[in-house]
Amino acid sequence: MKGQVTTQSADKVGSFTVTIDGVPIKVTAGQTVLSAARALGIDIPTLCYLEKCGPLNTCLVCLVKINGKLVPSCGTKAKPGMTVESETEEVHEARRTALELLFSDHVGDCLAPCQRLCPLGLNIPSMLRQIRGGQSEEALQHVRSTLPLAGVLGRLCHHPCEQGCRRGTWDDPAAIRDLELSMTDLEMQAGGQFTPPSKPASGKSVAIIGAGPCGLAAAYYLARHGHAVTVVDRHPSAGGSLRNVAEADLPKNILDAEISRVARLGVEFKLGVQLGGDVRLDGLARGFDAILLTTGEETGSQANKLGLTTAGSNLKADPNTCLTSVRKVFAAGSAAKPVKQLVRAMAEGRAAAECVHLFLNGEAPRRPEKRFSSIMGRLERGELKELLRSANMSGSVTPCDRCAGFTRQEAALEASRCLHCDCRSSGDCLLQHYAQVYGVDASRFRAERKSFSQVRQPGGVIFEPGKCILCGICVKLSELAREPLGLTFIGRGFEARVAAPFGRTIEEGLKKTARECVEHCPTGALAFEEEVSADVNRVNS
Amino acid sequence: VKGAAIPFDLTVTDEAVQRIGSAPEAVLPILQALQDHYGYLPEDALKRVCEKTQITPASIAGVASFYDMFRHKPAGKHLVRVCRGTACHVNGAERVEDALRRELNLEEGEDTDHAGRFTVEQVACLGCCTLAPVVRIGHSTFGHSTAEKVPGILREFSRKASALGATHVDDEHSPGGGRAQITIGLGSCCMAKGSDDLFRALRDSVSKSGVNVSVKGVGCVGMCHRTPLIEITVPGKAPTIYSSLQLTQARPLVNRHFRSRGLVQRAAGLWTRVVDTLLDNQDQVASCELSPREPEVGAFLGKQVHIATEHFGELAPLDLDEYVAHDGFQALARCLGIPAPQLTQSGQPAANPSLSPEQVIEMISTSGLRGRGGAGFATGDKWRMARKQPGPDKYVICNGDEGDPGAFMDRMLLESFPFRIIEGLAIAAVSIGAHEGIFYIRHEYPLAVKRINAALKICQQRGWLGESLLGSGYALRLTIQQGAGAFVCGEETALLASLEGGRGMPRLRPPYPIEQGLWGKPTVINNVETLAVVPWIIRNGVKAFAAYGTATSKGTKVFALAGNVVRGGLIEIPMGMSLREIVEDIGGGVRPGRKFKAVQIGGPSGGCVPARLADTPVDFESLREVGAIMGSGGLVVLDDSACMVDIARYFLDFTQKQSCGKCTFCRIGTRRMLEILERLCAGKGQPRDLADLEGLANQVGAGSLCGLGKTAPNPVLTTLRYFRDEYEAHLQGRCPAGKCPALIKYRVLENCTGCTLCAQRCPVDAIPMTPYARHVIDTEKCTRCDSCRQVCPYNAIEVK
Repeated sequence: MKGQVTTQSADKVGSFTVTIDGVPIKVTAGQTVLSAARALGIDIPTLCYLEKCGPLNTCLVCLVKINGKLVPSCGTKAKPGMTVESETEEVHEARRTALELLFSDHVGDCLAPCQRLCPLGLNIPSMLRQIRGGQSEEALQHVRSTLPLAGVLGRLCHHPCEQGCRRGTWDDPAAIRDLELSMTDLEMQAGGQFTPPSKPASGKSVAIIGAGPCGLAAAYYLARHGHAVTVVDRHPSAGGSLRNVAEADLPKNILDAEISRVARLGVEFKLGVQLGGDVRLDGLARGFDAILLTTGEETGSQANKLGLTTAGSNLKADPNTCLTSVRKVFAAGSAAKPVKQLVRAMAEGRAAAECVHLFLNGEAPRRPEKRFSSIMGRLERGELKELLRSANMSGSVTPCDRCAGFTRQEAALEASRCLHCDCRSSGDCLLQHYAQVYGVDASRFRAERKSFSQVRQPGGVIFEPGKCILCGICVKLSELAREPLGLTFIGRGFEARVAAPFGRTIEEGLKKTARECVEHCPTGALAFEEEVSADVNRVNS
Repeated sequence: VKGAAIPFDLTVTDEAVQRIGSAPEAVLPILQALQDHYGYLPEDALKRVCEKTQITPASIAGVASFYDMFRHKPAGKHLVRVCRGTACHVNGAERVEDALRRELNLEEGEDTDHAGRFTVEQVACLGCCTLAPVVRIGHSTFGHSTAEKVPGILREFSRKASALGATHVDDEHSPGGGRAQITIGLGSCCMAKGSDDLFRALRDSVSKSGVNVSVKGVGCVGMCHRTPLIEITVPGKAPTIYSSLQLTQARPLVNRHFRSRGLVQRAAGLWTRVVDTLLDNQDQVASCELSPREPEVGAFLGKQVHIATEHFGELAPLDLDEYVAHDGFQALARCLGIPAPQLTQSGQPAANPSLSPEQVIEMISTSGLRGRGGAGFATGDKWRMARKQPGPDKYVICNGDEGDPGAFMDRMLLESFPFRIIEGLAIAAVSIGAHEGIFYIRHEYPLAVKRINAALKICQQRGWLGESLLGSGYALRLTIQQGAGAFVCGEETALLASLEGGRGMPRLRPPYPIEQGLWGKPTVINNVETLAVVPWIIRNGVKAFAAYGTATSKGTKVFALAGNVVRGGLIEIPMGMSLREIVEDIGGGVRPGRKFKAVQIGGPSGGCVPARLADTPVDFESLREVGAIMGSGGLVVLDDSACMVDIARYFLDFTQKQSCGKCTFCRIGTRRMLEILERLCAGKGQPRDLADLEGLANQVGAGSLCGLGKTAPNPVLTTLRYFRDEYEAHLQGRCPAGKCPALIKYRVLENCTGCTLCAQRCPVDAIPMTPYARHVIDTEKCTRCDSCRQVCPYNAIEVK
């Protein structure tokens, strides 16, 4: 019906031109400003817009300026001669404010504290769900696809993840590092040799000087980006400072095995080669598309000889791009700035790898942005109980044979102590996405946090009211589908919330439309229990 | 199952459905019927409604939880509603509510006393602003209530409730046959001050003494500060006016003016006169006499122009013949092209040149009439665009959802001139070609609903409404829909959503209601006052109307003048008059010893104009220039006892609570603004708060979806603009006006004589009784209720 009406009026009025940010575009009568802008490739953010529902005009992050007034573009029809401002600082500020206001009322973490605190960003809750579910193979692949030298990290990492673990505020944190280690140990016992997938060869080459943790990590990431990596080190064997770790803490055979995994990614090692002696920087520059210096703390004294600028005892490198004073030469790790912890050194290697990768792609090198995450902070014990309902309530699991580490069963038991306080929609959440795009400060509007709650039924829909932005999509979808019970807004104003009528559960309200509503929920307010986080899908694909 | 226990009787629910209908849009009236009957909305009844109608569970649950009037748990026997309107707020409503809660021993979070007799609720505004602070218990309204009066009010109510006899004036339209006449104002606020009781007492006295006098209840008399107001007219004599009369003075008043006829009555009259003389009653009556030449009366009335309130204080609201005798329905008749309606006793029908709808619209257009609801859109343009819309189905709606705290113009107009508003709405209907019209009136105005209802019935009985408007053959059906306590429903798209049976959530405009209104059909929505002046313009011509006002704001504007002002009341002034003239000349200025500080105009969407800008003329553009808006007509005067940060907090608290919750800016933005203001008032502000507040206010104003959110920051922005020093004082932990409880302390000064009055009155025993010695206030215990200061005869209580 509606479509017919639009076509009719389109026939009458036909098409006309509007101007968005100075660019004219032809639109048909009835078309919204939003769709016109999107046709121009302008990414106007929307949260509450779903074509099927029509404009709901609730989130107001799609504001544009027309005739001196801010109006939601999703509900505004284009008119002949209309002039629209979209990508201006004023409009962006309004959109950012809308997003920041939503975050001031948002109860939930995009990333669980463990993942947020992991310098390498391992999706720990997802890994623990896999271990809990007996999917050790998937868990291992997940770990190997995120962490370079996973078997080393499992032994030596100072595990900031466990310091942030919410379970730790109840009793003891989940034994995240040991669980990660148990996966790589089980693989080794089984003689497994999983190699994470790499992108097709890019035809570009990188020389990495220094085979310590930072250099090895950089090699791991660059090789997976499809670049041809050569690691040069003056020592006869790779590993750098890792070679000095006591055998009891890091057996040599483990270190060798882990380094050989890096080699299996296609990384070439040239060992016992002294930079400045056998190999000169300008020579390297002719042979490689980029050079990354990860030469550790002793770099400073040599740097001048290489013609690089120093700052104190370190190489001078731009912290945002890792670029040194010499073209296409990058530096990272302790070579540029002292790094204490192993995992941080590796994270520096990753950051440098991303800069080099961008550079090789012809883009401006830029350190990867910190992933946006809403932070709800410390939970009260009552709130923790909401999360504990789906967790193993018993205390930490002690492996029966300490040295052998967790068995599969023990690992599953320990992993089930995880509270899964991460957001199931992280990576698939429009609110998070646009927060990242608009550089949102989630704590700009300080307010008392609403209490956290989570409504869940085993195997069913998880509803977290604190993450609901009252967009109205689920209410509308359930209405369109003529749900017998459906969902509605209860209350008014700031106290309004989405609920099923008469105190019934969300599950009962969404007999027919649960899947559709979960799919279109712009945030993580509605999610499925069994759904594997989108992060894992992305990593594994 | 046979014999299963039924929690309660559902037949009432079934009857309500039967009576009201089962379409989805019947949800609001059905819920109102259930609320009226059960005192709350029992879930079983709601489920029953879903079974019996097309109303879905989602719809009924959403609607029931949207509107303030609905309760979800049983209430006590009597509902005590504390008005939190602006005038009440600045006159200490908070203290009255605290006192009520103390008197009823309500713990935090409770609203009903343990005996289940009283339930205390806040209400946004009862529209009795000149009597502030106001408490309504059941159907009785108590004005000028203070914390000290609370126990008395509850006693008085209980006495009234147990006494037989209705508290309503059901037969107010009984003019009687006498040529001599006693008229008494019977507006809601008049009645709150006892006019209805006095009306009955006067009628009793007249009938007992057998004099040939008619006692007539009329609409609002405007001079709310002097009610009950009575006018006695005897043919051939100048009228006599009495103000502030007591109930006991009814009989002496009648005896003073009229001689009984029968011998027995005369003897009785003589006897009562002797008694009255002995009791000084006659003298007291005489002291209430108010000469129209008194400067006070002259000042109050002299500058007013009565167009919307034409014949105020003269017309019995429901006397159709009287309305017709005062040229009522003459304008509508012209628009219909028929002769003016005639009274039976009148002579020849007067010439009544007919007007085509286009001519009517042209007249309204050239008169310069702009909508009186707040935004000031040209009424003629609105009608013209609606007339041009194709299709046979169109609607006209009278927006009587006057929700601004501190405003009661619409209530008064609906109560006092129901036929005039009906005529205005009918003219709008005829002009645009609509055959259906709706009065949307907020439920807090029961008398307005009742009078419009009665007036519609009277018109229908005469055959002037329905199939044939005034007998012209033009069909027009008019109905009433009551609001349910949601300020946002005054916004036209929210009003439409409410009429269609939804939650009162505004939507984006365009499309405007004139294109897609009720049920998607072209709809004209006009404010009550706009419609009230329409007949006058048609009868008196465009020039007569445009003679009043300024270049862009023509005619008059009705204001509810209240707050810290000597003569509060309902006034109608020509546009262009300065705020100073209104406050000082008409209102008599602030109370002695106080300083005029600001005028809050336009309610929660308006702003505070400081005294130094009081020469600002009242017109749409000038007010906007100073940051305020014309609004619907609330005009609250503030003296130096008002804290401007508190005023901003008060309005934000209101709009925040009334936000529908749809769009991000209004739902969360107003809340965050309120939190900053609450911090400031609590002395917990931080230096960056002012900049944050201002920045957020601008964003909320620019980004919100509807008028409520767009204008909500105005009270904040104007107070920041004109009274920034007060904000800064709050940052330093001072409240210069001595209003914010967290920032002030009460102290007894040296001139205390030890009379113990304060100790006796202190509700929380914060003042130990020390006769003949200076008293001391325990600041820890003190709740800043102000009782001690009010009661102290020596001004020995200091607030700092």
